[in-house]
Amino acid sequence: MENLLQLIVTGIMLGSIYALVALGWVLIYKCSGVLNLAMGELTMIGGYVCLSIYTLLAARMSVTPAFLVALGGSLVVGVLLGLMTERLFLRKMIGEPILSVIMVTVGLSFFFKGIVFIIWNPDTVQFAPRVFDVQNIHIAGLAIERVQLWSFFASIVLMVIFVSFFKYTRWGLAMQACADDEMAALSLGVSAKFVYALAWAIAFMSAGVGGTLLGNINGLNLSISGFGLLVLPVVVFGGLNSIPGAIVGGITIGLLQNLCGGYLDIYFPGGIKEIAPFVFMVFFLLFKPFGLWGWERIERV
Amino acid sequence: MSYLPCGTYFESYLEEQKWWRTPFIKGKMILMLVLLVALPWLIPKDWVSVVCNVNYYILAALGVQLLIGYCGQITLGHAAFVAVGAYCSAMMVLFLPWPGFMVENGLAYPLSVLCAGFMAGFWSVLFGLPSARVKGFYLIMTTMAAQFITVPLVITQYVSRIGGRGHYFQLPPGTIKIGPVEIGTDSALDLGRLGIWDFDADTKVYYWSLFLVLLCLLAMGNLVRSKVGRAWVAIRDNDIAAETMGVDIIWYKLLAFFVAGFFAGIAGAFYASSIAFVSPEHYGWEFSLIWVGVILIGGVGSIQGLVFGSAFFVIIIEVLQRLLGYLSEGFEQSFPTLGVVLMKFVFFRDTAFGLAIILFLIYEPNGLAYRYWQLKNYFNLWPFSYTGKGH
Repeated sequence: MENLLQLIVTGIMLGSIYALVALGWVLIYKCSGVLNLAMGELTMIGGYVCLSIYTLLAARMSVTPAFLVALGGSLVVGVLLGLMTERLFLRKMIGEPILSVIMVTVGLSFFFKGIVFIIWNPDTVQFAPRVFDVQNIHIAGLAIERVQLWSFFASIVLMVIFVSFFKYTRWGLAMQACADDEMAALSLGVSAKFVYALAWAIAFMSAGVGGTLLGNINGLNLSISGFGLLVLPVVVFGGLNSIPGAIVGGITIGLLQNLCGGYLDIYFPGGIKEIAPFVFMVFFLLFKPFGLWGWERIERV
Repeated sequence: MSYLPCGTYFESYLEEQKWWRTPFIKGKMILMLVLLVALPWLIPKDWVSVVCNVNYYILAALGVQLLIGYCGQITLGHAAFVAVGAYCSAMMVLFLPWPGFMVENGLAYPLSVLCAGFMAGFWSVLFGLPSARVKGFYLIMTTMAAQFITVPLVITQYVSRIGGRGHYFQLPPGTIKIGPVEIGTDSALDLGRLGIWDFDADTKVYYWSLFLVLLCLLAMGNLVRSKVGRAWVAIRDNDIAAETMGVDIIWYKLLAFFVAGFFAGIAGAFYASSIAFVSPEHYGWEFSLIWVGVILIGGVGSIQGLVFGSAFFVIIIEVLQRLLGYLSEGFEQSFPTLGVVLMKFVFFRDTAFGLAIILFLIYEPNGLAYRYWQLKNYFNLWPFSYTGKGH
């Protein structure tokens, strides 16, 4: 019973990171209709940028301010990269068929992965000195790693910031309008190009924070891009264009992963933890292809 | 189909659909066949294996071209089916108790190639089943899931454990025999009155791959100009319209998945024999993406494009690698960073490939096949050449 509770709590904490990354994905899809397969590489870039700034600063100042500055730095780099990616590659693909747009993001994923490992070492690297204390926190008999608890809080705070940005600010409302009806938004003076660029910038930011947090938990290496791919089961489960769906989906997938890792690993030794979300996704697609809160597409000839 | 020269006309639709519509095309094709057969003697020895690799890419991407280019079903998990074919063939050859005469006469391996095709085809249909209900992005998700379920889970965790040989299967020399010819070893071949010819391992693999490629391309070409192919194209262009016209779309979609999987299985069986080695690393997700990239570079919906794309990708990578090799030999003293570049070659390759896909999609969305088509028309219609848009 205690084991189950432990798995559930850590699953929710892991899932909150997925939810954060999925939020960026959903924003891009909602605003510009691009199905982004490069999300894993975006998380990787954010993680590595934060890591290098952190190792640069950690020698000169104490851990917490160094980490915060590094996180801020990776957010700034993320915004710049997001604006650049949109301007250079994605803007030319507006209105192209779905395969072309998807393959451009696949090309981006190859490109970014290559660039990241040309610059950085492909072996696993850790945040050193450690940002979070290694000692666990004990709450009601559950041992929780500090890094996970902080990741959970950070993801929740960022999600609240992004969602309220989307809901209440002028730019966020422009994004909503563009997502709802692009033509109408254009005629009312909303700049669609600006909205797309903003969506990519936010996606880069949220993925970058996700990558940083994942890097703090496991260390950074090639497998972070695999974590980034888990965003796809998340958005399929929640519905492609639903922000609450992304959050609920992220937490569900995190839970599912942890529970499968905890209970099914005995029967299916090996990588069941990584595969379970995809198996779940296939069955889910068979029964409810539009996700929990996604828009159902009605097709006409 | 390119424009024909002036004065060529047909009297029936059958004539128009022929493979070789004019004597010139026929001559061209025969010349090409002769060149292909003579190729191992025309190019340097160490390039023969590169051409074999091109042939492997053609075979593997053939199913991708069928699914994406002709049937409109986007797949990002084709490496899974290639892996199924490779493992099926290798395990049949290694573990089945073949009767003695079959092994001696070299029937075991060809039979296993056929079985690998069927096995991969059915495995592909299994993951194609959701295509009855979903399409577009959701189908991409299921094919991706096919990749992640097949290669890292089923094959790495379970299939590789059979026989207790660790993570990979080694095919010992002499196990792969097609008729009297052993693939993968240097040996002399008695051609009767023509004398005894020496064939090295690469040349034999090349002929085997050439045979498979010609057979598969011929089958594919005939399929896409038959009723089945027309149904596929109708589904690609508008599946609802195709359904209202009476095309059984579920049946034809599943057929497309089966045929694509069949080709993938043959590709896998060929690759297993050519490197005498099967390991899950050769069938990772990046290969699924590379094969889609290959057909995008070559041209979607064109068999020629598939050939161009495969050749472009493999040869460019090879040239890059060799160039870096020569450079690092010559300049290692003055540029010590080159060693690092070589070590990270795979990442440079990824970067270049990603950039190539993006640039092709933005600036040349019709691929290399379209350029070739323009070139052909330029000469066919000369001196009144018009190379505008349109197919």
